Amino acid sequence: MNELRVEALRLRLPDGNLLCDNLSFTVLPGSVLALMGPSGSGKSSILNWMTGTLDPRIKAEGEIYLSGTRLTDLPAERRQMGLMLQQDYLFPHMTVGQNLSFGLKGGSRQQRKTRIESSLDHAGLGGMVDRDPATLSGGQRARVSLLRTLLSTPSALLLDEPFSRLDADLRQQIRDFTWQASAELPTLLVTHDVADVPASAATLHLAAVEPADTLTVTGLPE
Amino acid sequence: MGRYFGYLILGLFSLPLVAGLAGTLLPALGGMPELAPGNGLSILLLDPRFLPALMLTLKTGLVATILVLLLTLAILVSVHGTRLWRWVLGMLPPLLSVPHAAIAVGLVFLIAPSGWLVRLLSPAFTGWQRPPLDWVIPDAGGWSLILGLVIKETPFLLLAASAQLATLNVDAALRIGRTLGYAPARCWSRLILPLLYPRIRLTLFIILAFNLSVVDMALLLGPGNPPTFSVFLMSLVNDPGSRAAASAGALLLGIGVGFAFVLVIVLEKLISAVAGYRRQSGHRGRGFGFWRTLACFSAVLLLGLGFVSLLMLALWSVARRWRFPNALPTEWTQRHWLNHASLYEASLSTLSFALATVLLSVLAAVCWLECERKHGLPNVDWLWYVPLLIPQITLLFGWQAAALYFSFDGSWLTVVFAHWVYAVPYVVLILAVAWRELDPAWNHAAAVLGAGYWRRLWQVRLPMLMVPLSQAAAVALAVSVAQYLPTLLLGAGRHQTLAIELVTSFGGVDRRVIAVLAVMQSALPLLAFSLALFFSNRSSFGVMKSSRQHLATRERAL
Repeated sequence: MNELRVEALRLRLPDGNLLCDNLSFTVLPGSVLALMGPSGSGKSSILNWMTGTLDPRIKAEGEIYLSGTRLTDLPAERRQMGLMLQQDYLFPHMTVGQNLSFGLKGGSRQQRKTRIESSLDHAGLGGMVDRDPATLSGGQRARVSLLRTLLSTPSALLLDEPFSRLDADLRQQIRDFTWQASAELPTLLVTHDVADVPASAATLHLAAVEPADTLTVTGLPE
Repeated sequence: MGRYFGYLILGLFSLPLVAGLAGTLLPALGGMPELAPGNGLSILLLDPRFLPALMLTLKTGLVATILVLLLTLAILVSVHGTRLWRWVLGMLPPLLSVPHAAIAVGLVFLIAPSGWLVRLLSPAFTGWQRPPLDWVIPDAGGWSLILGLVIKETPFLLLAASAQLATLNVDAALRIGRTLGYAPARCWSRLILPLLYPRIRLTLFIILAFNLSVVDMALLLGPGNPPTFSVFLMSLVNDPGSRAAASAGALLLGIGVGFAFVLVIVLEKLISAVAGYRRQSGHRGRGFGFWRTLACFSAVLLLGLGFVSLLMLALWSVARRWRFPNALPTEWTQRHWLNHASLYEASLSTLSFALATVLLSVLAAVCWLECERKHGLPNVDWLWYVPLLIPQITLLFGWQAAALYFSFDGSWLTVVFAHWVYAVPYVVLILAVAWRELDPAWNHAAAVLGAGYWRRLWQVRLPMLMVPLSQAAAVALAVSVAQYLPTLLLGAGRHQTLAIELVTSFGGVDRRVIAVLAVMQSALPLLAFSLALFFSNRSSFGVMKSSRQHLATRERAL
């Protein structure tokens, strides 16, 4: 089972201040854990630590497991953690299709092409395979970015305020698309906005975490 | 009025470019028979040194440029983002500020059979009590020249690349690529390098043009028989019977450099097509521990060689007795500094050219940028690159011909003007970024307080831009101090600068005397950069405070 588990995480800034202390949680497949808190509360650093891309100046202690496998010392590329950021980071020197192909693993050229076209069709982006990402709307870019992440077949999904740059109408549309697409993955969502959090999600407020507290929050499937 | 002043600056800058090309083209085509009689091209082609010199230049210029590019990319991929990267960045400015000739002399003191590296190993590891006779520096194959060029030019490309990386959001691309399962080296090759390369292409072209046409470094580190093509042309230019051949050769060199640019672009397209195809394979790549270690080692070795070369100069300049195989002098002296006959004169001459160049180039750049801002003159950044992309020899043979024709060769002003043409592009390009990025709200705020144009310029804009101004001035000084060929060809032998003294003394004068000249030549730009750095750190304004940011800006401009 693709269970995502963090144990006793402690992050210490270079100046010695604690960003978080003794934080533990588990996210089960198909469930969403929302990590909330004000700016500077360490949400993004936690995500960075989980993906293996934490600034080396921040000292981290703790363990992370995915499907029972210890990831703590694995490099980012071997963790199988899908990541969506506030910005979509579609690579500007690649077309939409090439961006998606970059996410795909294995397969013949034809298989890859078919896979990309069908996923674009599924996302309502049919016929855009050769488009320059710069010509897409914000919502289209967000969908392509999420598709790219999902095509890399991650075992968990980490979302760092992925909806915050979208306008209100688009937000709901992309939220629905995201929750639908990630329905079978353990998902961690970092956000400021309560409206981004699905009703079934468990929520962890980082501002409420006092140093030396031990919190265990389990996101349960619907 | 201001608009026309801007055009006047452009005219002053463009005129020598046009005159230089015309002055090279005309003698080459037989258009100035009184100055350059004969058919230049046929004299050149019949010279037995022509082909070997050309082949040697192609080898040294192309190999050095390829190595500079490969080393830069390897260092970026392996060292960027690590602690070593910060060390590397810190080491670049001093290496960049030191003139090529000084580094070349230091390198000879380091790698020659009687050099410091052999001394360090002798006699314990080699058994040598005398310098070995197995190799000579400069070597016949041009490898010491290649090494010198790589040591001096790699920091230039690295700094240009590091400045561009700041605009590419490297960390995010690496993060996305790695979370998609790609190894770090693969993330670089597929996500970052395709975006980075077009941004450093122009710098690479400047390096390629320089490597194919360098004279001072080739005289110090290049072989004598055959010499490099530029050195061969220098041997022709002062012989009236061969002047037309020299001009034809200079023209040929310019065309050759143009072809080299085209070749690079074709190679680029090919590599880009292959890379684009491979990008779609989905192969994630593996770790690159060995290559990473090798690249880190190369970075340390490269920068280390540069710095130890400078150390050699300092040691030799105060050595009294330093017999082989001693690793350090056994007796020290200040005599070479105090009794150096031409040091004072050469330093003064160098300083007078440098200060005039700094003053005129900063003035011209400020005038141009103000005209551009105030009167909406078109952005002509491409024009400033022209003298950097054309081999110096191609332009300078023409300037010399024009100077001889109009009888203004040898004057102090002519030399200053030549230095100005080579310094002003750097100054404009460094200042342009800061000038254009300075928030116009500062100007507006001063205007609504009742300040007129000149008051706003002197009391608001210039003080706020003092940090880039000081950096640009330091670069202008470094450019002027390093100018060998313009001073030699347009000075008509009447101006003995440190660059001229160093190159002409090399080989025939005591090492200690040469070392004093080289240290002095290095000290002037280093001092200027230190002052600029000191000023940057003390500046109370937040506009581009750190020198590294500044040098990055300078390279972004390039």
